Amino acid sequence: MTTHPNHLELTTVDAQDSVRIELHGDLDHDNADLLVQEAVAQLTARPALTDLYLGCADLGAVDSMGLCALLMISRRTTEAGVRMHLDDRPARLDRLLTLTGTLDHLTAPPPAGSVTPSITGESAMAARPTGPDSTT
Amino acid sequence: MRCNDAAGPLLPAAAPGTSLVDVAPAWLCAAHTRLASPGPHPVPETGLTLRGDIGGRHFEAHPTVRGDGSVAWWLVDDTGHQLAREALRRERERSAFLAKASNVLLASLNLGRCMDGTAHMAAENLADAALVIAPARGQRLPVVTCVRGGAPATTTVTVDLDEVPGLAEALRGFPPVPSRWIDPATAPGWMTPERFGPVGSIVITPLPGHGVPAGALILLRATETAAFSDEEEAFARLFAARAGAAMSAARLYAEQSTVSDMLMRELLPPDLHQISGVDFAGGYRPSADHERIGGDFYDVHPATVEGAGALVSLGDVCGKGLEAAVLTGKIRNTLHALLPLADDHQRMLSLLNTALLSSHHTRFATMVLASAVRRGSAVDLKLTSGGHPSPLIVRADGTVEEADTHGTLIGAIPNVSATTTTASLAPGESCVLYTDGITEAKGGPMGDDLFGDERLKRALAGCAGMPAEGIVEHVQMLAAQWLGNRPHDDMAVVVISAPRTHHLSAVNGHTRGRFTA
Repeated sequence: MTTHPNHLELTTVDAQDSVRIELHGDLDHDNADLLVQEAVAQLTARPALTDLYLGCADLGAVDSMGLCALLMISRRTTEAGVRMHLDDRPARLDRLLTLTGTLDHLTAPPPAGSVTPSITGESAMAARPTGPDSTT
Repeated sequence: MRCNDAAGPLLPAAAPGTSLVDVAPAWLCAAHTRLASPGPHPVPETGLTLRGDIGGRHFEAHPTVRGDGSVAWWLVDDTGHQLAREALRRERERSAFLAKASNVLLASLNLGRCMDGTAHMAAENLADAALVIAPARGQRLPVVTCVRGGAPATTTVTVDLDEVPGLAEALRGFPPVPSRWIDPATAPGWMTPERFGPVGSIVITPLPGHGVPAGALILLRATETAAFSDEEEAFARLFAARAGAAMSAARLYAEQSTVSDMLMRELLPPDLHQISGVDFAGGYRPSADHERIGGDFYDVHPATVEGAGALVSLGDVCGKGLEAAVLTGKIRNTLHALLPLADDHQRMLSLLNTALLSSHHTRFATMVLASAVRRGSAVDLKLTSGGHPSPLIVRADGTVEEADTHGTLIGAIPNVSATTTTASLAPGESCVLYTDGITEAKGGPMGDDLFGDERLKRALAGCAGMPAEGIVEHVQMLAAQWLGNRPHDDMAVVVISAPRTHHLSAVNGHTRGRFTA
């Protein structure tokens, strides 16, 4: 696809109500923004979108900034009511997502309702005085 | 002698019959005498054009020896040419001076040296003495004074800016007041250097910085020196522009380095040592060796209450540089504030996650929390990973176990979860917390292999029984060897060990007495 196998190249394919972005190369510190920009541009340009597919078959290394970008796209798609799909994930990407505990978050279907930033039970506990917790 | 009509107005005294000595200037007479003297001429005439002034103008004189032995002097007026040549020479000197000034001033990013250099060069080239004034901090002005032939001296003076016309304006960056409007007699004492004598003329020029004035330059000339011409004032402004740019660059750099110094002091990983009978050691290598802070961090907090464990946190913030450092600072502060909850790792991580969530970005951190408490000669551990590589436990027999804890990264997703595991270290056993900078170090014999989990485990197997510092240094050394000179990510290692020294008293009846060698 490209002469620099490490440099991220994006190929965007439009369909009726979905967009597919093929990722070629590394998703890392230097070019993670590229993917976020492209995805956000697609989301903005096409309000009727229902699905965003990220084709990962040719994806190279993904570093923490790359994961940061995927999390950002996931957040934006959820806000827009669009479902994000990470297709053809290489084993390496799965390992990273598993290690960081983000596999379910990034691959699960979005919740039906709105996203509420709640940590169930924790807010109630946080309101409690901390004294009893610090006993030996 | 005879002369034509054109020579008449030039040498009004030249009438036929008068002697050349009486009418012509000395340089022409001397040349004539040389030429008219009998015998072979010692100097070939070619290429040697005679020049001199007559009546305020400049002439070239070309002799022609005529057949009758008389000499015809052709005088060619080249005053314009000469003026142009003189102007060109001055301009060349000035550009050379400006180029030199830029070199000298930009060679240093130290504001003090920049001010010294400015004052020194101005005193040597533009005036008899020069003062460079940095923008005021309150009423006090830092001033560098330099007299021609002397060395720059720095003082701080308390000044009423209005007592010097034009100074307040110059410090605010307004165009300079013409020199002739400034009465040298009004110059206050601090402006006149010692043993300088009365001031003849003054130029005050702003030093324009990057968007803000960088200060003012004051040039002084003694009474016996000619006052500043308009041209000289304009040139002083050119010099001031360069000096101002250099000084403001130096000031910006100084501010920046103050900021990063301050951040660094706050963010540098701590020196670790033994706390409550548990050995801790840590090592950190930032991705760029000239940066001292980066995206990895670790801390060890002693127990807040007696009997509870010391809390170790080690983590990796995504990204690098200042942004990563700022997030690192936030995390370390928040964790510190959450120390009373140190017993409940999951709750700590949840609260930290909530504190870090931002609508602007999904920057996250992965981290491991470890609580370590001494129970007899053993150390009990509680380990929780928030999306971070699991800690490795090095047993006394060289077995390396991966702690069974998994969790979600912190700071990007509203709902996080993590599992906590417990472990116990016998004396001489260690728990190794590390960041992926170690395992993802790219290098080795072929240059593109990752150091990897397996290689790290094998290396740690050989570290059984080593003290905590030894393991940290060994891991760092192996990673450094693996990398060679290749670029790498931040690398951090923390080792928690159950010390063997205390075990000596417990040798009796304990099977692990063999470790006390």
